[in-house]
Amino acid sequence: MSDFLLTQVINFGAPLVGVILFLGALGLPIGASVVLIAAGAFSQQGILEWPATALVGLIGALSGDMLSFGMGYYAKDQAHRRFGDMPAWINAQSLFQQHAGKTIFLTRWLVTAIAIPTNLIAGSSGYRFSRFMAYDLAGEIVWVGLYGGLGYLFGSQWELVSDFVSNFGGLLLGLALLGFGIRQGIRRGKKQTNSKIKFATPPSAKP
Amino acid sequence: MSPGSSPAQRALTIVLILLGVAVTFFFGMRALHAFQKFNGHRPPPPDKVETDTELIRDWMTVPYVARMYHVPDKFIFEALNIPKNGNKDKSLEELNREYYPDRDGFVLAGVKQAVLAHLPPPRLDSTP
Repeated sequence: MSDFLLTQVINFGAPLVGVILFLGALGLPIGASVVLIAAGAFSQQGILEWPATALVGLIGALSGDMLSFGMGYYAKDQAHRRFGDMPAWINAQSLFQQHAGKTIFLTRWLVTAIAIPTNLIAGSSGYRFSRFMAYDLAGEIVWVGLYGGLGYLFGSQWELVSDFVSNFGGLLLGLALLGFGIRQGIRRGKKQTNSKIKFATPPSAKP
Repeated sequence: MSPGSSPAQRALTIVLILLGVAVTFFFGMRALHAFQKFNGHRPPPPDKVETDTELIRDWMTVPYVARMYHVPDKFIFEALNIPKNGNKDKSLEELNREYYPDRDGFVLAGVKQAVLAHLPPPRLDSTP
């Protein structure tokens, strides 16, 4: 898939980069980050115009994020009916509200594998659209600048960068899962200890 | 029983930790391997003409290779014995499938040879 798209990016230029980043932001597994790094390299080689490619790519990514936020927003009632009473759902939503800005910003460029669930949760949890867009814009600018910039810097050796960046993203996702799991474990342990203390204290202990 | 200690939540925590360890290990090893390959490389100077033909891939088009190595595309098409008209937008893999279906990798090898033939010979260091 990526090989076919790379050939077409050479032939069709910046507009296709925009379309690919749009589809990638909707969750299609088409290797948007690979294409972005390659687009940086193609700009350095004079195949693409870097300002136009960066701008069109940014517009594509932002449009895709807006649409997936909208999908979450319109699925809100259905999600609430189905999962509204589940403690895990309530926990996930309250956790998201506490760290929404950081999460939106970091999932644009650092842990990109969970960008789509983040957009859907943001939309379905009633997170303010203007705030979402502000963090989204900041994160996507970093993504386009950093990934495209690395491609531009390394030129014909961009595949080495792409290989490292995609595996490093996976490593960060693993660490995030591990950290979240450990955090949940610690919280569970604390809750159990608290409830044991509560039951062990006699009600007549008041002076 | 408190809501935080339900068996489902305990299972979810264990799954998250195990999944986290597995994903971290898998991508950690791959990232390390990629870093070792990447570590010896530095960004090439912007005005450097590429000479490493091992960077040529099947998805590239002839005009793209020509631009990357500063070789006229006409020269590559002639070396491959393929007409330029109607083939400028096709990848090397497509050209191979269309013109040499029974010779796997022929076009890629041919392009590498053509580029090498056109590149200036490497300069010898004059210092003893």
